[in-house]
Amino acid sequence: MENVNLNSKNINEKLISIKKPMLELNNIEVIYDFVSLAIKGVSLSVPEGSMVALLGGNGAGKSTTLKSISGLLKAERGEVTRGDILFMGQSIKQMPAQERVKLGIAHVLEGRRVFEHLTPEENLIAASVVKGSLAQMKVNIERVYSYFPRLYERRTAESGYLSGGEQQMLAIGRALMTQPKLLMLDEPSLGLAPFLVVEIFNIISRINKEEKLTVLLVEQNALAALDIVSEGYLIENGKMVMHDSSIAMKNNPDIKEFYLGGSAGRDFYKIKHYSRRKRWLT
Amino acid sequence: MFFRQAGVYHTKYAEDRTFFPIPVDRWMVSALLLLSLIAPFVFSSLALSTYLLPWLVWTSAVLGLNLVIGWAGQFHFGYAAVMGIGAYTSIHANRFGIPWELSLLLGGCMASFIGVGFAFAALRVKGLYLALSTLALQFGMDWVISHVPAISGGTQATLQAPPVYLFGQLLDGEISFYYIALAWCLIVTIFMLNLKRSSLGRALISVREKDFAAAVIGVHSFYYKLIAFATSSFIGGVSGAILIFTFYRAATPEQFSINISIELLAMVIVGGLGSIIGSFFGAAFILLMPGQMNNFFAWLAVTLNAPLGIETLSHIPNAVYGSMIIIFLLIEPMGLGKLYNNLRDYLLVWPFGYQQK
Amino acid sequence: MDIIMLGELAINGALIGLMYSLVALGIVLIYKSSSVPNLAQGAMVMLGSYVVLGYANIFNIGIWYAIPLALITMFLLGIGIERVALRRLAGRPIIMILMMTLGLDIFFRSISMSIWGGTSRPMKIGISDDPLFLGPILLNWAYVIGAGVALILFGIFVFFFRTRRGIVLRAISDDYTASWSVGISVERGVALSWAISAVVATIAGVLWSSVQGVDQSLSSLLLKGVTVAVLGGLDSIGGAVLAGILLGIFEGVASGYLDAIVGGGSRDLVVAATLIITILIRPHGLFGRHDIERI
Repeated sequence: MENVNLNSKNINEKLISIKKPMLELNNIEVIYDFVSLAIKGVSLSVPEGSMVALLGGNGAGKSTTLKSISGLLKAERGEVTRGDILFMGQSIKQMPAQERVKLGIAHVLEGRRVFEHLTPEENLIAASVVKGSLAQMKVNIERVYSYFPRLYERRTAESGYLSGGEQQMLAIGRALMTQPKLLMLDEPSLGLAPFLVVEIFNIISRINKEEKLTVLLVEQNALAALDIVSEGYLIENGKMVMHDSSIAMKNNPDIKEFYLGGSAGRDFYKIKHYSRRKRWLT
Repeated sequence: MFFRQAGVYHTKYAEDRTFFPIPVDRWMVSALLLLSLIAPFVFSSLALSTYLLPWLVWTSAVLGLNLVIGWAGQFHFGYAAVMGIGAYTSIHANRFGIPWELSLLLGGCMASFIGVGFAFAALRVKGLYLALSTLALQFGMDWVISHVPAISGGTQATLQAPPVYLFGQLLDGEISFYYIALAWCLIVTIFMLNLKRSSLGRALISVREKDFAAAVIGVHSFYYKLIAFATSSFIGGVSGAILIFTFYRAATPEQFSINISIELLAMVIVGGLGSIIGSFFGAAFILLMPGQMNNFFAWLAVTLNAPLGIETLSHIPNAVYGSMIIIFLLIEPMGLGKLYNNLRDYLLVWPFGYQQK
Repeated sequence: MDIIMLGELAINGALIGLMYSLVALGIVLIYKSSSVPNLAQGAMVMLGSYVVLGYANIFNIGIWYAIPLALITMFLLGIGIERVALRRLAGRPIIMILMMTLGLDIFFRSISMSIWGGTSRPMKIGISDDPLFLGPILLNWAYVIGAGVALILFGIFVFFFRTRRGIVLRAISDDYTASWSVGISVERGVALSWAISAVVATIAGVLWSSVQGVDQSLSSLLLKGVTVAVLGGLDSIGGAVLAGILLGIFEGVASGYLDAIVGGGSRDLVVAATLIITILIRPHGLFGRHDIERI
């Protein structure tokens, strides 16, 4: 959608300032090991400064989508065989992962993947090499600690021994050290207690507002995700099946039934039958 | 198109669990089996005794090693030591007067016994450390055989293998040796094929993937690792014994040294970790390649009129052999077996494009 | 066996042990930076020594000019190994990487033998043959210098791993994928660690060659190097120093007694026994990291 800058005095700016999407996936297709098709015909567009959710069940292709954006597919013998990926208007399909991080794409991996034998402070230092001087690094570290005070308290412990929530905070903080423009999170609520999920999601919202960071959030926990994002995509079996504003998605009866547990009081057989016959018409 | 899965319906559970559900596979395997049975009459005597016979025996050894490395996921850098234990035990047993078949079994059991005893201690660790302990087993075995004349047989350290009597019949000549090797290879192959669909096989795979998760669902991982070591050591011991009795006819320490362990590992890697057909391919490749490369380099030297010294030539096979390990790991780390499977997968869906997984 | 002989065996053993640590240092460097156990380290020590001799003979220059040239060559070789052999195997199960290093070991050994032959050649770097006396104990100058070089290098590397570059290398060894995701160039880090390790191997090779000549037997330093590395902890530099000293003393004293009984060849046996016992009792060595497995 175009956002026209109504406050601008210049009439041309009013008409022409179109917010280009920060990230655009055009009809991409990902193959693993040359034979296994993972996602097909997936298109996605993330406007600058917004928070967008990518929802779906297990094995739907959410992580694959993120990895194709951040360039980590190569590590798992996958590749994007069709379509294109545009970041701030520039095609990044051929770029190696390191270049994409330099451009400003940060990927917080599924399952945290912190550097286990390093302390949290060393984790943050390791992530700072890609950009910026030593002075910049110190500033960034202070900023991360201001978002995650608990990390400051545990900054000399061995990261492998941190709790799940602390590791998740560390992983997000580590991504922030690369001074990104787009922050992608893969299932940050995985394995966390509900109150921690709320805390971390609140911090993510804060980061989005204060740092003006665009956020792409992949989640299975649709309820928590739809509470903080502005729009959502739904991917199922490797295909994109729905795209709508978060409020519309929360109220969509099918979403409620399949992902938000809203099928109270209905016969299980009837539900299964219905989902088999359902065709996604968006 | 040939590998059509359409039209293959099963009406009984037994049919569902056959080794080769696709008809093409069944035909290919039957043809190979037939060929192997009539091989002595088809191939020359030279080809039989220098190529086919050692290939079959080494394949059985590689299958045994694949059991512990590829299926159970435990490293074993000392497999030649295990084979050596089996070989020496069965020779001494046979010389002592025990009938040949029993001394083979005795060799296997001794290898298994020592293998398990060692594994009891070594399996406390995983990964690299397990590899290093098995390496130490290999060194220890090397040292014992060289320094204990009672085992290695005299000052020259060569132990002559007595003639082979199967059920009282004297077996001599390459044809009978070939059939012994073939029989043993078939037994081991059928065992490994069956492993896939047995509970033991499933347990081993679960231990390989994540042993503490396996323990959580009731698969006692230490026990199954021990079983893997015991079984593969048995197979290795018997293979080593058959190798000496039918091929080398005499046992020397170099035949079971660290270099042979590395050669076996190369066969496993080249063939493919955990791949049964890969074991056949890997053994054939590693057995044949250095010889061919040696011929090639000698021919090259003559053609280019640049004679290579004897010493240089003698080290070429090793250099080729090392570079083959490297090249294979680079081209296809999962080995020839995976290349074969890729081809098969491609043919399965041909003329269509991708399989949806 | 009197106290003086015991002392002599022990002190010489400690010095030799520090020279073993130099070989182990290469293994620890690579493991600490890329999580790869390098079983080709012995071959690299041997290859480095041959390259030094090669430069000295081909260009007819003094040994002290050949050594820097060889160091540069081996540095490039390390980078080349990463580029050609290791890059494609990143992220694969460790057995493949182990086999790759074994393949490199076999390849380097046989190539050296093909090119330079099997006869032993001397390497003279100007260490005097005069005996050095510490009280009543006889020491070898070569061992003393070797031990000194080892300690200096250790100090350098302990410091290095506290710097930002060093932290990045340690991060790489923890998790390749996570390193990629924060923009660390895993390929450059691994290449750097192999290159530095090749240089260290060459230095170790030069020192050892001055004692025992340049030939095949240099590659059997691998067993000693691996034992020291495991005993000290595969990712601990300080551990490698301490373990080297301990192993050197133990090997020297034990083989001094055992050789008389067994008739020679007991040094290797002692080392292998130490390796097994270390793995069985305390696999992560004296100062190595425990592998953290969060369930």
